[in-house]
Amino acid sequence: MKKTYLYIISFLIILTSIKAHGQDVPQDSVLIPLKLRVGIEASGPVIYFTDKNNLNLEGYFSADLNEKMALYFAGGYSNFKYSQYNYDYKTSGIFFRTGVDINLLKPEVAIGKYWAGIGLHYGVALFNSATPSFSARNYWGTTSSSIAAQTSWGHYLEVAPGFRAELFGNLSIGWTVSLRKQLFFKTKNDIRPIFIPGYGKGGKSVSQGINYFLVWNIAYKKIKVAIKKEPTEEPEESGSATTTTND
Amino acid sequence: MKKTILLFLPLFLAIALLLKTSCTPESCFEETNAYLKASFYLESTGKLQAPDSLTLFGSEMDTLKIYNKASGISRAQVPLNSSAESCSLVFIINDTADTVTFFYNSYPHLISKECGYTFYHNIEQTIFTKNIIDNVKILKSTVTTFNEENILIYY
Repeated sequence: MKKTYLYIISFLIILTSIKAHGQDVPQDSVLIPLKLRVGIEASGPVIYFTDKNNLNLEGYFSADLNEKMALYFAGGYSNFKYSQYNYDYKTSGIFFRTGVDINLLKPEVAIGKYWAGIGLHYGVALFNSATPSFSARNYWGTTSSSIAAQTSWGHYLEVAPGFRAELFGNLSIGWTVSLRKQLFFKTKNDIRPIFIPGYGKGGKSVSQGINYFLVWNIAYKKIKVAIKKEPTEEPEESGSATTTTND
Repeated sequence: MKKTILLFLPLFLAIALLLKTSCTPESCFEETNAYLKASFYLESTGKLQAPDSLTLFGSEMDTLKIYNKASGISRAQVPLNSSAESCSLVFIINDTADTVTFFYNSYPHLISKECGYTFYHNIEQTIFTKNIIDNVKILKSTVTTFNEENILIYY
């Protein structure tokens, strides 16, 4: 719940600053800095301090292609352990995602500092999972066994709407909601993984998550982008028509 | 206005997802035992017919009955022993007893994160006495948690 409050507060601060920029004097074009960004996911280490069974380290790099689109590349490491009354499970592995981030804000609003848009990514996970012990009970009694560690591959698509804003200097913060769809997972037997690094719950064909990013960015080029003027209504003339005659 | 809606949309999505996640209890609501499903057919008519009385228990486990003089059971759920490669069960159909031995191999299957693992089985062979049972046919050899008929018992 604390995480939600953080999102709301940061979002409102950012929204206020955007409104202030929107009140600038209208121009025909605007200079937009194209940037390189390096970001780290902040919530993973925080969650690890409260739950030592769940470690997620993730970072990303992105490069603006133009004022709307940026190339995106992310990578990370996950270590997940789960235990309940009838089994223990552990998995660890690395994951990569690549794709594009599309900024839906108008250039004069974004001005190279704000991003509210959607990321379209393809993800791959390479991970090792094992079930050190499990038990199943029926009429004949309880059978205990284990499943040896095995290496698996996973592929998925990710749609990540989100928001990011430059707070000061070259530092930005932002968050994304990630919606992921399994494409396929390659395992040695028919046992589905319970958790897939970078994806989430392996038993579900769709998973979701929220990421909170701290981003360092630097401009490498500036481009001039024309501002599309919104059509304005001409004011109606008031008063009665008059005619003049020359005698 | 459109801009405000656009900016707030991901926030609403995030809150909705958080609420959804926090409201989902991690309880197991699925079937966790893979029973062999055995249907009873009358040999004379070839039609599905529940015995007037069915008693079922594991061989040498007659104190622990799976069914005890039950009526109206046209499809019995038969548990297999995951710790062994075969098990024998006593079927008492209309007060006449027969023993059916199942040979199979078992393998683990993940039901879900909430429910954990169970064992599925592959039926390889059955042998049986013929006091009341005329024949046992394997219809589907894979025994799972799904509601699928595995064997037909003709009596």
